[in-house]
Amino acid sequence: MQQYDFKYFFLKYKKRYLLGVVWLAMVDVLQLIIPQILRLFTDDLQEGLLDGAGLVRYAFFIVLVAGGTALFRFLWRLYINGTARKLERDLRNDLYSHLQRQSPSYFQHQKTGDLMAHATNDINAIRRATGPGVVMLADAIMLTIATIAILIFTIDIRLTLMALIPLPFISLVSVHFGKIIHKKFKSVQEAFSNLSDKAQENFSGIRVVKAFAREKKEVERFEVSNRNNFLRNVDLIKTWGLFRPLVQFFSGLSFLVVIWYGGRLVILRTISLGDFVAFISYLGMLTWPMMALGFVINIIQRGRASLDRLNDIFAEEPDIYDFPGTDFDISELSGEITFDDLTFSYSDNDETVLQDINLEIAAGDTVAFLGRTGSGKSTIARLLLRMYNTDPGEIYLDGRDIREVPLRVVREEMAYVPQDNFLFSTTIAENIAFHDPEISREKIEQAAREACVYENIKDFTHGFDTILGERGVTLSGGQQQRVALARALIKRPKILMLDDSLSAVDTKTEEEILQNLESIMAERTTILIAHRISTIKNADRIFVLDQGQIIERGDHESLLEEEGLYYDIYQKQLLEEKLEES
Amino acid sequence: MRDFREEEELGKAYDSRLMKRLLTYARPYWKILLLCILLLLVVTAVQLARPYLIRLAIDNHINVMNLPQVAFSEPPPEEVEYLELDGIYLARENQLEGEYPDQERYQFIRHEGNYFLIPTFTPNPETVEVTGEPGNYSAEVNGEQYPARILSAEELSEMREQDFAGITRIALFLLTIMLFGFGFHYLEVYLLHKTSQQIIYNMRQEIFSHLQDMSLSYFDQNPVGRLVTRVTNDTETLNDMYSQVIVTLFKDIFMLAGIVIIMLAMNIQLTLVTFAIMPLVLVVSIIFRYYAREAYRKVRVRLAKINATISENISGIEIIQIFNQQKRKFQEFKEINKSYYDATMRHILVYAIFRPSMDLLYSLALAILIWYGGGRVLQSTLSFGILYAFTDYIRRFFQPINDLTEKYNTLQSAMASAERIFTILDTEEEIENPARPVPLPQEVRGRVKFKNVWFSYDDDEWVLRDINLDIEPGETVALVGATGAGKSSMIKLLSRFYDVQRGEITVDGYNIKDFNRRELRKHIGVVLQEVFLFTGTVADNISLHRDDISREEIRQAAEYVNAHGFISRLKNSYEHEVQERGSTFSAGEKQLIAFARTLAYDPDILVLDEATSNIDTETELLIQDALYKLTENRTTIVIAHRLSTIQHADRIVVMHKGKIREMGDHQELLARGGIYHDLYQLQYKDQLAPSQTEEQELTARSSGQSASS
Repeated sequence: MQQYDFKYFFLKYKKRYLLGVVWLAMVDVLQLIIPQILRLFTDDLQEGLLDGAGLVRYAFFIVLVAGGTALFRFLWRLYINGTARKLERDLRNDLYSHLQRQSPSYFQHQKTGDLMAHATNDINAIRRATGPGVVMLADAIMLTIATIAILIFTIDIRLTLMALIPLPFISLVSVHFGKIIHKKFKSVQEAFSNLSDKAQENFSGIRVVKAFAREKKEVERFEVSNRNNFLRNVDLIKTWGLFRPLVQFFSGLSFLVVIWYGGRLVILRTISLGDFVAFISYLGMLTWPMMALGFVINIIQRGRASLDRLNDIFAEEPDIYDFPGTDFDISELSGEITFDDLTFSYSDNDETVLQDINLEIAAGDTVAFLGRTGSGKSTIARLLLRMYNTDPGEIYLDGRDIREVPLRVVREEMAYVPQDNFLFSTTIAENIAFHDPEISREKIEQAAREACVYENIKDFTHGFDTILGERGVTLSGGQQQRVALARALIKRPKILMLDDSLSAVDTKTEEEILQNLESIMAERTTILIAHRISTIKNADRIFVLDQGQIIERGDHESLLEEEGLYYDIYQKQLLEEKLEES
Repeated sequence: MRDFREEEELGKAYDSRLMKRLLTYARPYWKILLLCILLLLVVTAVQLARPYLIRLAIDNHINVMNLPQVAFSEPPPEEVEYLELDGIYLARENQLEGEYPDQERYQFIRHEGNYFLIPTFTPNPETVEVTGEPGNYSAEVNGEQYPARILSAEELSEMREQDFAGITRIALFLLTIMLFGFGFHYLEVYLLHKTSQQIIYNMRQEIFSHLQDMSLSYFDQNPVGRLVTRVTNDTETLNDMYSQVIVTLFKDIFMLAGIVIIMLAMNIQLTLVTFAIMPLVLVVSIIFRYYAREAYRKVRVRLAKINATISENISGIEIIQIFNQQKRKFQEFKEINKSYYDATMRHILVYAIFRPSMDLLYSLALAILIWYGGGRVLQSTLSFGILYAFTDYIRRFFQPINDLTEKYNTLQSAMASAERIFTILDTEEEIENPARPVPLPQEVRGRVKFKNVWFSYDDDEWVLRDINLDIEPGETVALVGATGAGKSSMIKLLSRFYDVQRGEITVDGYNIKDFNRRELRKHIGVVLQEVFLFTGTVADNISLHRDDISREEIRQAAEYVNAHGFISRLKNSYEHEVQERGSTFSAGEKQLIAFARTLAYDPDILVLDEATSNIDTETELLIQDALYKLTENRTTIVIAHRLSTIQHADRIVVMHKGKIREMGDHQELLARGGIYHDLYQLQYKDQLAPSQTEEQELTARSSGQSASS
């Protein structure tokens, strides 16, 4: 179980962080030199110790120091911000591969939107904590300590103490306001998501709204949320708006002290005019770290909260993996399948989906499962693919418990054409060659021919290179199914499973496809799952499922003679066909 | 959920057409915005005053001992501070308004901790030597001998007392304007953001209201998520623009202009020399703007790509796992993630080069200032205070320039959002209300007529072909037919969610196109197959927030349609909060709530799309009873899925492939042996449930239907 904390991040790239902080320190040191130059310059000027060459020397020093500062600024940005981006990249890769390991049941109770939010917002918050957060913290601490030390030791301790009185207030304001603002901001976010919900609900229920002519009332109701959002924002501004003016005011107070008290000290010759100028310069540098201290606390808090949320995700272990006892010597399957008293439900308290399933399928057989929606027929395919775990001793492949066969082998040896025929938004060729991108174009075209979709694909302007999906071509349901079929056929698997995957294909094409399949699948195990009898009537054996149980079994002819459910369904489909033609 | 696939298209940063339109939203608030600008003017002035005040403190009160003193024989003619020494009245030359060429210039010089007055003035003397004893000092300045008078401690402190007072005055003045600045600044921030929120509030209201008037086909074409984004996020982006760009732009202009004016006023030559660096600043800014924009665009596009990939791969996770492609998909993701990383690194690089180089340019300006200005101070043609003030102003000058890039990004996103929002606002509702609608009679009798109605959703394929149907007031007509026969289209047309292409539909003899759409719908009650429940209480879901439906009426309606039973068993009864769109209710319960909702509105015409979902026997009986009550003495068109509904109907209309093929009552149609006969065998026969296998049959019935659909 992978769990992260900030320490891990910093240790992972400790060299880069360390160097980054060193560069930052260099910047701070060089920055602190500029007021010293100004100070010496002022005093020299006052004492009349300067000539033309002296001026050039001072100007040159400034440019030299500035050049160094620029270089180190460039470096810390690359080293710290850049490293935070590296961490972001690594973390996102880890999250992705973690999600990919999860079994289907995980995604059933996780909203995609939430997962996306983790991959975007939370990772972003962590990046901010490990990048700008680190910079602010290190910079604020180093700059504050160094500046105050210089002020005390090189200028005047009394002036320093007096001038610095207002500065801690900036940090206090920044921390205190940070808290209030955070709280109010949360309330704004709530109002905002309430606004979103209102809009979302209205648009989803627009049919009811229109049917009952409730548009006006809905606008009024939306107005309530809209106004609430407005008011909470104004409330936030009331506090948030104070922040910057207040910080400026406090920092202004420091300057006031320096002008009033520092000016006196210069007149009394306790400090020089150069000291005075340098002091003002240093004060300007202190305002920012004082503010930053407040921000840093907020950034780190948010980063930590995001990290906790991600750790919750990382804590989820996938429930499907190679169990101990897996026999890794198994590298292929012949296609023999046994169900031994299989009873299955998706979770402990759910109703039973499959009950007492007993059957044997010899390698090379073609069998079919028929049943109505909800009869459990798709679950059989999912269990064979080990998308869900069965109890020991319920499913055997080649005589070995499926739990002992390496997961990779199970999936390698099977090909599945699912009901919802999901295709990726890449080219058609890449979709068909999904299991191996190295496959030759001839084989891809061959598979397309077998799935009777070749002609359709050729009709597209870009043929097999046509991109699918939102930004490409949308295929019809039947075309999608046939591409998904080609994707499975090209694998030449030991076990082929078609799960209601020809439902959107017209009967004529279906027949053609089934004919093609016969020769391809002659030596391979084929499992057809359907509710349409035309799809399965030629199978060696047909199992009729009802409410999770096999209630009839046999071939087409014998099942018709039985005059049971199979016969019923058959009659209805005949009627449907008749209706379709009338 | 946000539409993650939608790539962030970044167009122009400034589009005058869009900007003009955006500004019209700000127009009602122009007075407040003007006030904000004025306030900003003051705030900027306060910010710029500080270096100037420091300069005054240095030049007039701190760095004054080496200044020329004008010597009068009597108190000076002007209201200035002066010091009387042995009958000579000394006033600082820079304090006096007049020229006084006849008066001599004296000078204080400093030697071994004491100040001496000498009756001459030499700027920046190179050598100063004082000799002699108390009462008889003489000074040698640059080789010239002058008599010198020592200043006693009292005399010195008397003279400096005026400087202390002067500094205190400046400090007090600064404090005063700081307090004003603080107040004005806060007021400005508050007013500006409040106004901006007000504008956004108005805009949201406008978009939402506009969407309420759009036809259903519009909602079919546009995913809910996208529309929500328009109402919420896109307007939020505009908020940033209103609050952070438009007005603050003035602030930057004030700031830059103010700095330039003050600098010019203090010293024209020095200003010009210092600004010699400006062309370079301009060039660097332009180059940066280009690269920053490119870098930013790449980051956005690639982030969108990451999101799209994650979203797609989560949707297709089963396929990936079944085909054992986790490794490859991970590699692909890594590539995409890396290309995003590269883009962010480039973004960092661009900023890592630009920000420090701007700082470097500032230092360059500072160096020029030190070199040139320092020389001027040496020649006494420039006061040190001004040189100091210049260093401060030039630093402030760079601030708005650095901020400019951020504003640029905000502007760019705002333009993209504005474009999307205006596209919605410019889309007109396709189904038009008549200019002068015919008022519907108080009592609609409910005679509905379809006359030669042809209809198509996409002008491509006819969904309804030449439909003719007369429905008598109070009659119940059951529509039956296979999926796609055109039943749903018929009821959608009656409520005018779509318009017919040919023919007409009349209610009580009037073409429904002559009515106001909403008025028409008030008389037609529609119960859809899928019952949509809103967040809120059960009572709210029955009344749909209509205030003139009392609690009692809600209860009566619920009682009448048999919904009261289960509602009263809920925790808070009618005040029960509906969770997650009503997922805690069974399908049958939701149906009953929908019936109560319809009955509460008491429509003259009832349109019903019966649910096909699995409903337990007990509730099924309640529903059948409720249906019977609802349809009694009310014109009803029902898409029938229940045998009982068909049997109760006055007339059965058999639809097939967009046409009415058969019409009559149950027995007649069965006897005819046509389409209805087949449909009956397929869909309804099983519903004649023998009591012992009732439950099994009910399940079989419903799944049998979906299998045939």
